Amino acid sequence: MTVRRIEGVLPVAFRYTPGVGNTAFFEALRDRGTFLGARCADCGVTYLPARIFCERCLAGLMPDTECGPEGTVESWTVAHEDADGLPLDLPVTFALVRLDGADTVLLHKLLGSTDIGGRVRPVLRPDRAASILDLEGFEPI
Amino acid sequence: MTGRRVAVVGAGMTRFVRRAQETGKELAFQASRAALDAAEIKLDRVDAVCLTSAPDAFDGVHRKGDYLADGAGGWNKPFIRTYVGGGSGVFTAIQGWYTVASGQADVVLCVAEEKMSSCQPHPQGAFLTIFDNILERPLGPNLLWIFALEMNRYMQRYGLDKRDIAAVAVKNKRNAADHPAALLGQADISVDDVLASDVLAWPVQRLDVSPISDGAVAIIMASEDAARRLTDAPVWVDGVGWNLDSTYWTNRDLSYPEYVENAARMAYGMAGITEPRKQIHIAEPYDPFDYKELHHLEGLLLFDKGKAPEAAAAGVTARDGDLPCCPSGGLLGVGNPIAAAGLMKIAELFWQLRGEAGARQVPGTPERGVAQAWGDLMQVGTVVVMGKDRDGRLGTSGQQTVQPATLLGPTSLSDAQFRSASGAVETPLDVRYAWDPGDAVGAFLDGLRDERILATTCVSCGRTLVPPRAFCERCFRPTDAWRELPAVGTVETFSICHVTWDMRPLDQPELPAVIRIEGSSDGGFLHLLGEVAPDDVRIGMSVEAVWRPMDDRTGSILDIAYFRPREPSVRRELVAAAVAEVGS
Repeated sequence: MTVRRIEGVLPVAFRYTPGVGNTAFFEALRDRGTFLGARCADCGVTYLPARIFCERCLAGLMPDTECGPEGTVESWTVAHEDADGLPLDLPVTFALVRLDGADTVLLHKLLGSTDIGGRVRPVLRPDRAASILDLEGFEPI
Repeated sequence: MTGRRVAVVGAGMTRFVRRAQETGKELAFQASRAALDAAEIKLDRVDAVCLTSAPDAFDGVHRKGDYLADGAGGWNKPFIRTYVGGGSGVFTAIQGWYTVASGQADVVLCVAEEKMSSCQPHPQGAFLTIFDNILERPLGPNLLWIFALEMNRYMQRYGLDKRDIAAVAVKNKRNAADHPAALLGQADISVDDVLASDVLAWPVQRLDVSPISDGAVAIIMASEDAARRLTDAPVWVDGVGWNLDSTYWTNRDLSYPEYVENAARMAYGMAGITEPRKQIHIAEPYDPFDYKELHHLEGLLLFDKGKAPEAAAAGVTARDGDLPCCPSGGLLGVGNPIAAAGLMKIAELFWQLRGEAGARQVPGTPERGVAQAWGDLMQVGTVVVMGKDRDGRLGTSGQQTVQPATLLGPTSLSDAQFRSASGAVETPLDVRYAWDPGDAVGAFLDGLRDERILATTCVSCGRTLVPPRAFCERCFRPTDAWRELPAVGTVETFSICHVTWDMRPLDQPELPAVIRIEGSSDGGFLHLLGEVAPDDVRIGMSVEAVWRPMDDRTGSILDIAYFRPREPSVRRELVAAAVAEVGS
């Protein structure tokens, strides 16, 4: 019997609106260069980026709590390959950064080297478009 | 009684909108919070969360269950996502039922969320993979084909008038005009409006179809003890049922939903219902298409086969009729965020049976209702029977529940706002597949290259299967022998399709059909008709395969270029577009 492969695609793309919480966060980042979170006073948790609800108690939240801009590296890794497993020209360091005042972490680039517990500050792009890429990354202080 | 008694004690929903600014998580939160508020409980009273959402491909998030979990209150709790396609919304209430009935939880939050607007260029793209990748997708199918082929078969079998079917769309869109969460309520719509709307895939016209929508619905389910503490007007889950028909959709009886009857009998048996037409006072059958409400009412044994349309046209199923059906406005009127729309039907029965449906309230004091949904590859039936407190406590406040939709959103975006929303991200799903047809279908494709139609047979049930299978799914044993059949057959049903899967108009209509090959059992398979004028096609017409030139054959379903009438006088010169050139 013939061995054959029938090829096909899933011809879809996506357009994601960032939602109410992320929009408040991105617009504050774009317009003021600040990091806007949301705090649930009952649970004592501050979410960054801002969310419209507390995942622990489902209370409605407002984007009312500014965090950072400095923060602490919670963990980091160095990527040597891209998503297809091909070698990168230059390795890229990614870090989980907890901004001061937040209970959650942001994933972003670490521009320079430090260790877990190291203090960092954000590097913002001058031309910002309400995107996570408005932030170039974090650099050690 | 099966397990512990279970009641619904609260329900909430968002508005259904075309494009929500909110993320899926935020939609889930809005509905969950509305349901908690309606039941006057906090999240810490909830023991477990049951969530549903239809295909992952709508969102491009291939872990949609836990992705949505935080908005559904699933943090740090037993959490499960169930999925049976369009049947999911009603099924998540069944999941909630057995989580409570089993004693595993006293209070469960059930959440159904759907955000279809993210999927570009059209959410139908997410459905293309429900077609068989080897035998159907090369034909360039459109999801509407399935419904058009089923609707045509239903109409032909019972000699139905399309006006009677359109009456359902009119009823539901009018009912939805009284629903604060509705997307397509329209008090002044008429049957003529439906019949004058664009023909998409005949007999399906634009106003026969429910709209693509974003939205979420949530309910709170509780054990009897918990329910008694939480409310003096619990609405009981009296029966649940679900059933799956053959996964070969072209082999099913397209004129009658056996799977709904089987699910209904399961639910009615549990609820002690022996005469559904007398014991059910209100119904929320699944109505993504107008004919489908009628199909389902027959499957729910509420009308005889083929008799629901005339009843609908006569007003029997109107909100003030003898058997109110879709008093909510249903999917045709409120909207069709797929999984959420199913759970909306459970929520509507909850509000109706408590007398809290406001302007939508049916007259009298309905005591029992049935909600039903339908999905997977259009062959799953999910059914829930709900009843008012049988202990004589009516407990109806007569007050319309504060519709949280109006309080909590979501924010509806225009197309321009959606296109320009700050921070929006666009990304393709850049995946490609290569499927192996397997042994049986592989041999079938080899046969096509030699102009041979090959079947397998099962001596146990006596069926001859085209396309062939390596095993008989009924007898659950290997098939026995190969058999060659003539390349002629009969049109079981057909459609005249005017749009592509992403709803762009076609220059020439396509004629998809289910062809039953002479000598095969159980329906047939999907292909296209050619060399025939659309108006000349008839169900029952005898057709023959037209083979592609030998040099162009590749061992594909497209080696049959199309089927044409065997009667030469009916044949017309071939229009190029009728040939299946398009792979998708």
